[in-house]
Amino acid sequence: MCAAPRTEQVWFDEAMNVLKISISGVRGIIGATLTPELVVNFAQAFGTYLDSGKILVCRDTRPSGAMVRSAVISGLISTGCEVIDLGICPTPSMQLLLRELGAKGGIAISGGHNPEGWNALKFVRDDGIYLNALQASELLDVFHQNEYSKRPWNQLLPVQKRSDAIDQHLSRLRENLQVDSIRRRRFVVAVDCCNGACSEITPRFLEELGCKVVPINDSGSERFPHEPNPTPSNMQQLRALVKASGADIGFAHDADGERLGIVTEKALSLSEEYTLAILSLIKLSEKAGVVVTNLSTSRAIDEIAARYGGSVTRTPVGQAYVAETVKEMGAVVGGEGSGGVILPEIQFSHDSVAALGKILEFLALRHCKTSDLAGSVPEFHMVKRNLEFSLSAIFAIIQELRTSIESEVQRGEIDLSDGIKLSRPEGWIHIRDSNTESMIRIIAEAKESVQAESLANWAQARVRMAGARMNDR
Amino acid sequence: MKPIRTLKISISGVRGVIGDSLLPPLLTRFAASFGTYLNSGEIVVGRDTRTSGEMVKHAVFAGLMSTGCQVIDLDICPVPTVQHMVRELGARGGVAITASHNPVEWNALKLIRSDGCFLNSYQAEELLSIYHQGDYKKAREHEIRQVSKNGQGIQSHLDRILENYGPVKRNGRKFKVAIDCCNGAGSLMTPRLLESLGCDVTAINITPNGIFPHPPEPVPQHLTDLCTLVKETGADVGFAQDADADRLAIVSEEGQPVGEENTLALAVKFVLSHEQGTVVTNLSTTRAIDDIAQAYHSRVVRTRIGEVNVTEAMKREKAIIGGEGNGGVIFPKINFARDSMVGIVLVLHYMATTRMSLSTLINALPKYYSVKQTVPCPSFQLRSILKQLRETYSNDELDHTDGLKIIRSDSWAHVRSSNTEPIVRVVVEAKSEDAARAWAKEIISAIGNR
Repeated sequence: MCAAPRTEQVWFDEAMNVLKISISGVRGIIGATLTPELVVNFAQAFGTYLDSGKILVCRDTRPSGAMVRSAVISGLISTGCEVIDLGICPTPSMQLLLRELGAKGGIAISGGHNPEGWNALKFVRDDGIYLNALQASELLDVFHQNEYSKRPWNQLLPVQKRSDAIDQHLSRLRENLQVDSIRRRRFVVAVDCCNGACSEITPRFLEELGCKVVPINDSGSERFPHEPNPTPSNMQQLRALVKASGADIGFAHDADGERLGIVTEKALSLSEEYTLAILSLIKLSEKAGVVVTNLSTSRAIDEIAARYGGSVTRTPVGQAYVAETVKEMGAVVGGEGSGGVILPEIQFSHDSVAALGKILEFLALRHCKTSDLAGSVPEFHMVKRNLEFSLSAIFAIIQELRTSIESEVQRGEIDLSDGIKLSRPEGWIHIRDSNTESMIRIIAEAKESVQAESLANWAQARVRMAGARMNDR
Repeated sequence: MKPIRTLKISISGVRGVIGDSLLPPLLTRFAASFGTYLNSGEIVVGRDTRTSGEMVKHAVFAGLMSTGCQVIDLDICPVPTVQHMVRELGARGGVAITASHNPVEWNALKLIRSDGCFLNSYQAEELLSIYHQGDYKKAREHEIRQVSKNGQGIQSHLDRILENYGPVKRNGRKFKVAIDCCNGAGSLMTPRLLESLGCDVTAINITPNGIFPHPPEPVPQHLTDLCTLVKETGADVGFAQDADADRLAIVSEEGQPVGEENTLALAVKFVLSHEQGTVVTNLSTTRAIDDIAQAYHSRVVRTRIGEVNVTEAMKREKAIIGGEGNGGVIFPKINFARDSMVGIVLVLHYMATTRMSLSTLINALPKYYSVKQTVPCPSFQLRSILKQLRETYSNDELDHTDGLKIIRSDSWAHVRSSNTEPIVRVVVEAKSEDAARAWAKEIISAIGNR
């Protein structure tokens, strides 16, 4: 039997019911779950939660961003907030400006790495970090209570537009990098902005760094050419571009400037796990210290930290967990295996533009090639699988696996702080609920690909079994 | 419990108090219903100067965009400009964000069809049923259209007026005109219009910030500053607008408010003096209109209250002028809307062609005295009030088109519920002020004695 082609209609129908309200914000499908009314309510809830004040709003390039933005602005104004509208700009540019302006919070309107059709609200607090789990649940309490602050006509404040978020971001990056050294190398850099929010900032930044920029998908007003997630499968175009232009390195962005993908000068696309590994290597080689990452990120980080006399602290998956821990521990770097990197000297948020600047600085100072840098990252094989389930089944499946794996599995160390992570000397498995989509993620890693596959197979079978038992009930 | 509810969802649109009942989710839903009703397309959006306008505007944008509408944002401009632009751009509809003459804490949505008129009661009912059903059209990612800003609204509206009526002088001398725009939407247009007409303009309250220096309804008791200004500057005439510049009040060169009923009477007399034709106005408007029409061998058609009732009858009857006694002049040659700018132009040209002072023109109008009063009334009491009055006045000629109109040989009274507020309006007109007052008092006590 032939599987029917997965048309846009089929995708849309399946996604119809998906609305994720989690630590990563409120995320849903345009034309289905993410309605303007829901967005307005969340903006009112956020304005109420912060008890008004100055709030920054930015968005990525998705067409629905304009609709969501208006809904957000209306909700915020009604609760007495002073809205500063940055228009289209990378989320980290907003987070940085938020701290400079001493604002009370921010809302980034971006589906991040999610495909076209999704959009989301991401709530930022006054230190530029996303709301943590506790704060997110407090916000949800306000939302569920459905009683928002209602300001009278003479307490409503006009929206202020600002267009300097990118300028401020770039000047902050320049101050923290050895720009002259980078300029002297006259790198040729290929970049795929995925027509997202980095379409302006990255080509500008690279030019300031004296690079010859070879951009693709940098229009900012056209559709995403591929999924805005910088994984090797989405970096085919970039590889071809690197090859054709003889670039020293290629960079790929997600839709809002959080995740970074890398292609070497040999036109090899690196797994997204390499981005944090490379930045850990760069930062630890400057100064030994703590690296913070999540439970699902490659063990390569541990080996790199050991190599430079540093240490690794693991948190549940989610940028807010990592960012808060980076801040608390005074870590030298943090991030997630999905390609997001936090450079605390810039800010406590994923910042893909800062990350690419830091990589270029290292290549310039050490006179090495991208492939040399990638080659010094210890090699692991990672398998990532996503199993789609209905939202209602996911929690029950994870709960069941927690009890059964904890009681049955004898060998290895079990961490239950975010789903189930089982670590053994030869490798590890992490089974967890996605923060952003209606699926269970399985991540397995080992030195050998056969081992990684067999770990993943084992985990997948357990999840499927648990899922089947849910259906039987 | 609040004595009177502040939210009014009616055939006049949705209206409420900011910070109390008119909140963003409701506005978003209402805009989404309108987008669903029109099945997407281009929608022109404008607003008056109220401080809540930006909040309301963004809620409206979000709702319209979510149904796949192409929003054309005129931002702050008079309501008649929005109506003009809907026709000019061939848009499918429009939304005017304004509570018009209501106090500063109110705001509202007025919904406009492709011909520039407001939705009529049937259309409004259809829209409301979509609103209540809650099943709105949902555009997908690539069906969502970006807002297009259009800064040409006021210029286009000005051009249309000036194509028809150029600069005015009387005896070779420029008119001296005083204006009070109440810091409303007229602030951005009226001074420009008057300068284009070659007038010397002295203006107060032309900062479009939505902080109203007095209640925005252009009735005599709110015109004291303008009266003083007219006297101090020796102006030939003074004009006052409400917040969205659909209604016009006039102050004579003597510094006297001429009464809002006379705005329409002057415009009708000027237009009919050049061309015979049908006049349309509502049941509550002065009988002076009938007297003037009769003098020019023209016909008057009366309609229910509400701008759309008048404009629709004007279309049907191919009327050349119409309007409402509250200062709303509709002159189809320029705009199918109550348009205070059009009123200003007609009055100035009347003064110029007759070479008469405004007070002379007013004195030449038929003399009636009217009393307008309001009685608070929750909607469920309305029927019993009307029943009581029908019994009390069963010997008079009665018109049941809109509430109850009692018609006598030299006077009339009209009692109806407001479309916009939870009140009953009582209008009485008679040949003397005493007679009008006495009858109004009688009616109000009859209402009270149920």
